[in-house]
Amino acid sequence: MSSKFRDLLVTNILAVVAGLVVSGLLLLFLGKNPLEAMGTLFGSLFRDGYTVADIFVKATPLMFTALAFGFTFKANLFNIGAQGQFYLGAVTAVGFSLLMEGRLPGGLALVLIAALTILAGGLWGGLIGWLKARFNANEFLVSMMSTYVALNMMNYALRTFLMETKAEYPQTNPLDTSVWLPIFIPRTRLHIGFILAVLACVGIWVLLYKTPFGFRVRAVGNNKDAAEMAGISSKQIYIAAFFISGALAALGGFSEVNGVQHMLVQNFNPGVGSAGIGIAILANGDPIGIIFASILFGALQVGGNIMGQLSGIPSSIIDLMLGFVMVFVILSYYVREVWEDRREKARLKKAVNL
Amino acid sequence: MSNVPLIEISNISKYFAKVIANQEVSFQIHKGEVLCLLGENGAGKSTIMKVLYGLYKADEGQILVNGEEKEINSPKDAIALGIAMIQQHFSLVQAHTVTENIILGNVHGRFNIQTYNKIVADLSARYGFEIEPTAVVKELPVGVQQKVEILKALYQNTQLLIMDEPTAVLTPQESESLMKFVKQNTQEGKAVVFITHKLREVMEVADHIVVMRNGRVVGDLRKDKTNELELSRLMIGKEITNRTYIEDPHFNQQPVALELQNISVRDPKEDMYRIKEINFQVRKGEILGIAGVSGNGQNFLCDAISGYQKLDTGKILLNGVDISDQNARERIQKGISYVPSDRQRYGLILSMKLEENMLLKSSFEDKWVNRGLIDYNKLEAYTNDKIREYDVKATGPDSLAGSLSGGNQQKVILAREVDIGSEVIIFDQPTRGLDLGAIDHIQRIILEEKKKGKAIVLISTELSEIFGLSDRIAVMYKGEFVGVYKNHELDTQKIGLLMAGYTAEGGKTDVQ
Repeated sequence: MSSKFRDLLVTNILAVVAGLVVSGLLLLFLGKNPLEAMGTLFGSLFRDGYTVADIFVKATPLMFTALAFGFTFKANLFNIGAQGQFYLGAVTAVGFSLLMEGRLPGGLALVLIAALTILAGGLWGGLIGWLKARFNANEFLVSMMSTYVALNMMNYALRTFLMETKAEYPQTNPLDTSVWLPIFIPRTRLHIGFILAVLACVGIWVLLYKTPFGFRVRAVGNNKDAAEMAGISSKQIYIAAFFISGALAALGGFSEVNGVQHMLVQNFNPGVGSAGIGIAILANGDPIGIIFASILFGALQVGGNIMGQLSGIPSSIIDLMLGFVMVFVILSYYVREVWEDRREKARLKKAVNL
Repeated sequence: MSNVPLIEISNISKYFAKVIANQEVSFQIHKGEVLCLLGENGAGKSTIMKVLYGLYKADEGQILVNGEEKEINSPKDAIALGIAMIQQHFSLVQAHTVTENIILGNVHGRFNIQTYNKIVADLSARYGFEIEPTAVVKELPVGVQQKVEILKALYQNTQLLIMDEPTAVLTPQESESLMKFVKQNTQEGKAVVFITHKLREVMEVADHIVVMRNGRVVGDLRKDKTNELELSRLMIGKEITNRTYIEDPHFNQQPVALELQNISVRDPKEDMYRIKEINFQVRKGEILGIAGVSGNGQNFLCDAISGYQKLDTGKILLNGVDISDQNARERIQKGISYVPSDRQRYGLILSMKLEENMLLKSSFEDKWVNRGLIDYNKLEAYTNDKIREYDVKATGPDSLAGSLSGGNQQKVILAREVDIGSEVIIFDQPTRGLDLGAIDHIQRIILEEKKKGKAIVLISTELSEIFGLSDRIAVMYKGEFVGVYKNHELDTQKIGLLMAGYTAEGGKTDVQ
């Protein structure tokens, strides 16, 4: 156990460092000093309260999409479609917000919007789980493709019934302040969506590790055959796990729309789904670990943006940097598998030769 | 026979991540002989041959071909050395013709398919195979597909042909013609390795027999110097228990707890019965032992009773109530428990803690839940009690199940299943692979549960275990019961013959 945890720490730190080093080397091609740029990146993070708070703002949707991947991961399922579920949640949230604003008191409206978003995302995700349970469809591919369906549904909505009154751009009217998620640190953008995300992480942790249902999810994930033999229906678990996963990603959309954007713009936050996968793997699927890994990614995003502004480095370098970190994080997962396998084998050999 | 063996396997060990597949395996294969690799499922027969064929890499040991040490890293290397292997699942391109399959990988550039059709037709005629070279493989019956595999090996001028359970997919007539071919082939000075767990085939075709058990070679004999009884003893293992059965005069006076009526399970893919028309009753306080060589349908029978396997026909009654339509979860709640033979796959979740493994079958019940959350304090205390009661060698309830030895893992399963099985407990090979101390402990637990009035189904390939514990003994062969006897009605020799597919008098049974 301890050696596993050590592997996790070592490989993850190496992955983040490797990602920074490789993207730093790319800076050399641009004729910039990577050390200086990285210095700006980390130094600027703490220049004022607004910037520090923004780290947490950026971390919020990442926590939701990372949880979405991490939760199904515990059932040994791959939900690659968090991006689509996120968009679906955003469309649902913006649609009902526009419908309810001014008609219902803000607080009540927000609760209802959140509930409807959960339902929409849950059904969308649950459908993937059902296809897996009913037809043994490959959930990896189905969830991945469902993203494009959701994306195009969003684009359709933005060009038709949700389109702004000016009918100029594919975006909605701005939301009324009554349905904005309240900001809890004045003079920053930090809204209560962040608290919601942290609560979701803690809640999912409790669900997974403290409730009989979560136990069954993990049992199916760890050994489906033994779980089936114990009377646990893996099919039910597939559907339930994907329902929860879809609902979580959709809540991310809600928190971005009602907390940050206050409207829906085409193609916003396009990397939130894939970053979520990287974060979940960085945290080894652990919901509490996801909180910290999301904050790390949030910091890289914020710092990267400032680095771009201050040192004249093109902002696409930041996406590249995050991309590299993610690739190395995902690779580290396989490195750990190989190490673990090798250790098991060595242990067995030792036991035999005693 | 020359003195230098065609193949010498020397001290080969192969480890998979969690199991030892082969341990210090050594034997020789000579030219012109049929070598039968005999052993139960999981004894390591296929693994050692896959090492020889280059599919697996050995962790220790060497392979000598004609006295020279060779590195075989892939089937390509093996084929170059004249070794061919026919897998249990054929490796033919279904959409291609016979000729195309045979020359696959052996021709380059432009070629005239007609020439090769002729070569294949000649080759096929030489061995009396009657195969149309232009036939498409997927339209051929399984037996003929196997012949295509054999032709492919012959075409490559194979010196050693390895066949993994070749008769498993064949009809009796096809098997017979296969045996004929094998003999003809070795007369030409080539060698054949025949992997099987069927004694009858061994006696028919082998010159040289290597018996494997738990990844080791336990016997290396010439056929003319051995017999079925010795082989079955080697294959099944030495007597693991000297427990003597204590006659229970009351066992047939208690009410019937479990009754199976005409249970059949078909395998639609293979078009065959896994278990066929099984009928039996087990009374409260009775142990019904089911003897048989493993792989004769025992797993399917257990799965059918536990609700994991759907029935094609028949009914299962528990205390007179039909439970055939109930799923595994409902049957667990009714008090049917099951100790599966593959404990690491079906019995435990190795990557989870002991206490979680204790919870596995009762996560739906209220007793472990307190206000919606799992009552870990209670579960931990309970697990601790069980660890002490069953003498499990573990550091505590939070040890991972995978960190325990096989015997201790089995004790954990037993502790759980004994509690759940208030009515019926199925033990499938409860002592397989365990050391003597653990075996004795587990057998005592089984007898205690009998005393408590539970109906017990005990499946074992260890005859001494069946004889030491059971009130009645059923023998299973090819998915059917070939007889149910009171303990002591037949001796071990006769049961052994029944297990091997003979009648108790030594003739062949009509079960095919």
